[in-house]
Amino acid sequence: MSFLQPFLLAALPLIALPIVIHLINQRRYQTVRWAAMMFLLAANKMSRGYARLRQYLIMAARMLAIAGLIFAISRPLTGGWLGRAGGSRPETTILLMDRSPSMQESGRGTGESKLETGRKQLAATLKTLGSARWVLIESNTNKPRELESIDALLNSPGAEPASAASDIPGMLMAAHDYIKANKSGRTEIWICSDIRENDWNADGGRWQTLRDAFLEFPQGVRLHLLAYPKPAPGNRSVRVTEVRRQKTGDGAELLVSLSVGREAGGETKESVPVQFEIDGARSEVAVELNGPRADLKDYRIPLGKARERGWGRVSIPADANLADNDYWFTFSPPSPRHALIVAEDPQAAPALQLAASIAPDPALQCSADVIAPDGLATVEWEKVALLMWQAPLPEGESAKAVRAFMDRGGQAIFFPPKTPTKAEFLRASWTEWVHGTAEAAVESWRGDQDLLANTQSGTALPVGQLQVRNACGLSGEFTPLAVLKGNAPLLARVATTTGGAYFCATTPSPGDSSLATNGVVFYVLVQRALAAGAAVLGSTRQLVAGETSGENPARWKRLAGMEQAVSSDYPIHGGVYQSGERLLAVNRPAAEDGAPALADRRVAGLFKGLDFSRVDDSAGSSGSLIQEVWRLFLAAMMVAMMAEAGLCMPKPARPSRTAS
Amino acid sequence: MFSDRRPRSFLEPLVLSRLANFPLFARKPMLGNVSGRHPSPHRGSSVEFAEYRKYVPGDDLRRLDWRAYGRSDKHFIKEFEADTNLRCCLVLDTSGSMEFGSGGVTKIEYARKIAAALGHLALQQGDAIGLSCVAKGVVRSLPPRRNPAHLSTMFDLLEQAKPQGETRLVPALHELAETIRQRALIVIISDLFVEPEELRGCFEHLRFRRHDVAIFHLLDPRELNFNFRRPMRFLDMEGGPSIFAEPNEIADRYQKALGGYLEGLKQVVLESGMDYHRVSIDEDYEQVLIRFLVGRTRAKGGR
Repeated sequence: MSFLQPFLLAALPLIALPIVIHLINQRRYQTVRWAAMMFLLAANKMSRGYARLRQYLIMAARMLAIAGLIFAISRPLTGGWLGRAGGSRPETTILLMDRSPSMQESGRGTGESKLETGRKQLAATLKTLGSARWVLIESNTNKPRELESIDALLNSPGAEPASAASDIPGMLMAAHDYIKANKSGRTEIWICSDIRENDWNADGGRWQTLRDAFLEFPQGVRLHLLAYPKPAPGNRSVRVTEVRRQKTGDGAELLVSLSVGREAGGETKESVPVQFEIDGARSEVAVELNGPRADLKDYRIPLGKARERGWGRVSIPADANLADNDYWFTFSPPSPRHALIVAEDPQAAPALQLAASIAPDPALQCSADVIAPDGLATVEWEKVALLMWQAPLPEGESAKAVRAFMDRGGQAIFFPPKTPTKAEFLRASWTEWVHGTAEAAVESWRGDQDLLANTQSGTALPVGQLQVRNACGLSGEFTPLAVLKGNAPLLARVATTTGGAYFCATTPSPGDSSLATNGVVFYVLVQRALAAGAAVLGSTRQLVAGETSGENPARWKRLAGMEQAVSSDYPIHGGVYQSGERLLAVNRPAAEDGAPALADRRVAGLFKGLDFSRVDDSAGSSGSLIQEVWRLFLAAMMVAMMAEAGLCMPKPARPSRTAS
Repeated sequence: MFSDRRPRSFLEPLVLSRLANFPLFARKPMLGNVSGRHPSPHRGSSVEFAEYRKYVPGDDLRRLDWRAYGRSDKHFIKEFEADTNLRCCLVLDTSGSMEFGSGGVTKIEYARKIAAALGHLALQQGDAIGLSCVAKGVVRSLPPRRNPAHLSTMFDLLEQAKPQGETRLVPALHELAETIRQRALIVIISDLFVEPEELRGCFEHLRFRRHDVAIFHLLDPRELNFNFRRPMRFLDMEGGPSIFAEPNEIADRYQKALGGYLEGLKQVVLESGMDYHRVSIDEDYEQVLIRFLVGRTRAKGGR
């Protein structure tokens, strides 16, 4: 139990008041000369049973009455807010709402989603607890926004459902920055989330930093988690994995590959009707779902000859989560994949050019130009999909040009120069070559994502067969994608706001590695980077909600999707948008589908050392999390007083004894 | 009657004059010295016929009933009831507990008033009056006499009676039962703070000695009601140990003990044939005495 006015509990020693008064009364006795001592002596010898019990009961009733009064004015709360939720009114309350699609799951037998339930519960609870200032941190921008009152949470666009994933550590960091910047007094942070692994990124290195940062606040920060970890069993999701337009003899057709997944718990075999909608024309196909996931490969949808580009939607019937039942896609003729190679090593350049210019599909146009580092001024950057840089890292104007290219979504792979310089790009720099690593093998690599991910059939790339003879050291902050023996990075990714740049620690020249001679890995790596870069250049583009990747959302115009979304929030809402002549399809991140919830111990571990409490709720729950129960104590006090009055009531007067 | 005219605090002339209308009767035949208004166990010369009996030589020929001789040709002596005076012995408890009084009047003062009034009444109708003060034993004793000067002596004794010491009423009553000549009216004025079963013996002893025993059991209203509010330390007026008590806590048990005592005492006095009067000392003693006198008139005993 917790209290809204806990300082009033300091008056609890007053419970002993009846005892103190009793003791004082005992000391203030009167002395009287008494004749009928024989009756007093006889009374003393009698059993004191009921009389003493009555005295104790009266005393207990008085103490209970005082205790009831003190507890009542301390405004006790009941509910699951684990102990210390209540307390004196905080100066600032910061709300972190997880608006990710998984939060739109509804509970069994209710149409209310986790997000709606969480908002209502928080509004009701925090209204009771009160605060001087309310701050909502929006999940997509991680920007704090002050609310006029807690009721505004129910209508705030910043707490509406979104298609983008949430970055809980980022939101916490924003909360930390807000507290630090505003020098808030006692602050409480309330997180409403379904604790999905992808939103919480529990393995990330930011949590340790966050814990240390919050512990530094002298005023103390309390963290509360309102969790909705229970998944909706049998919830299905649909996701388009690939869309291709290809010509046929009498026109064109669209090849759509998709996958249908479902949450754990739905293990029975079922047929899921998948509906395609392109330009208002609908078609339907049933996908047999016999496990957690079913794929449909290259489903053909005929298109008109003149239909070069367009958009469509794939949807499945409504289930527990409406946010993952639709997927938007765009299609257009593939854009040319043009790579720019800046190389100082003549032996490495041909391999790079070869890998970039051989198209994996006859329908694709691939090309690659090789220039010297000083020839950047003449480059038509708007046509370049991939930059491969084998030279000292760019500096000055070159660096600016490369950075601008990357900011608009272009991909870049950096290879070490013959002689590493002290030049830095994206805070990373080459250190020095380590020669004679004697054909060091690759120890590990990231097969789950990025350039070295497994193939669509699940087969791993033969990265382990690569031989690296010379490798250059890399310093800076990066995420290794492949690591050589001795923990030296072979391929690393340096994050930027619109994607990232790749650093390969060796070159494809035969003297340095077998990248060129054993070309499968290198070819896949280059083509994947090229495809990613070319995706930005085409007249259509698939975007992950929350990531604009160089696009300017201010120019977007909605063609399909959530109608209530305000234009500034288009990038976080799924749908199809038009930006100039380009079509953009925005969809939820892949990790949102079927992401497991974090284990309780892991969540507790993330907040270890912090003032943290957690309560689990379920979607659609109507019971209040917190409730004031002072009336109960007041009633107890009244009952105690009535009991005391009853016990103190004198017995009916006996008939007076007169002379007989 | 009051030769020195000294005012006595326990004497109220108006009350005495009103009480003079009520005679004091004995419930049993009394043995007196002179003729009086009380029945005697012996034959005498009153106007009330008692019986005939055969003449035996030596009888006074004046008492021979000649008419009976004329009818039956036998000699019969005609006998009449004898009326005598009584010896009234007042037994006044002067133990320490008699000093208690919560309403301005102590039990000893109340007892003095009753004793003085009864003494005056008895002497007025020619009865002998005596007084015994008892505490640890018989402290002071005045044998019954019937001359008016004796009343003054008794009043002096009443005035001088100081309540002190513990009550040893039972041995004192046994002693008085033996020392007072048979067939007397004994009036006990006491708070009787003795176990009823202990009193039973001395009451039986007094009855065995053919005394007519009347008891005024004096109790203070506070002793009956025990209406204390604050914690009290009770000091024994007879020198016993003091007791600390919380009245709220002990009142029930006190009342229970008191009720048991009164019930037991009532049983004892009924079984011993005592003329028992329980008196709360806030009552008017005149009314108490009127009730007592009227009651005795109704119960006026045979011979």
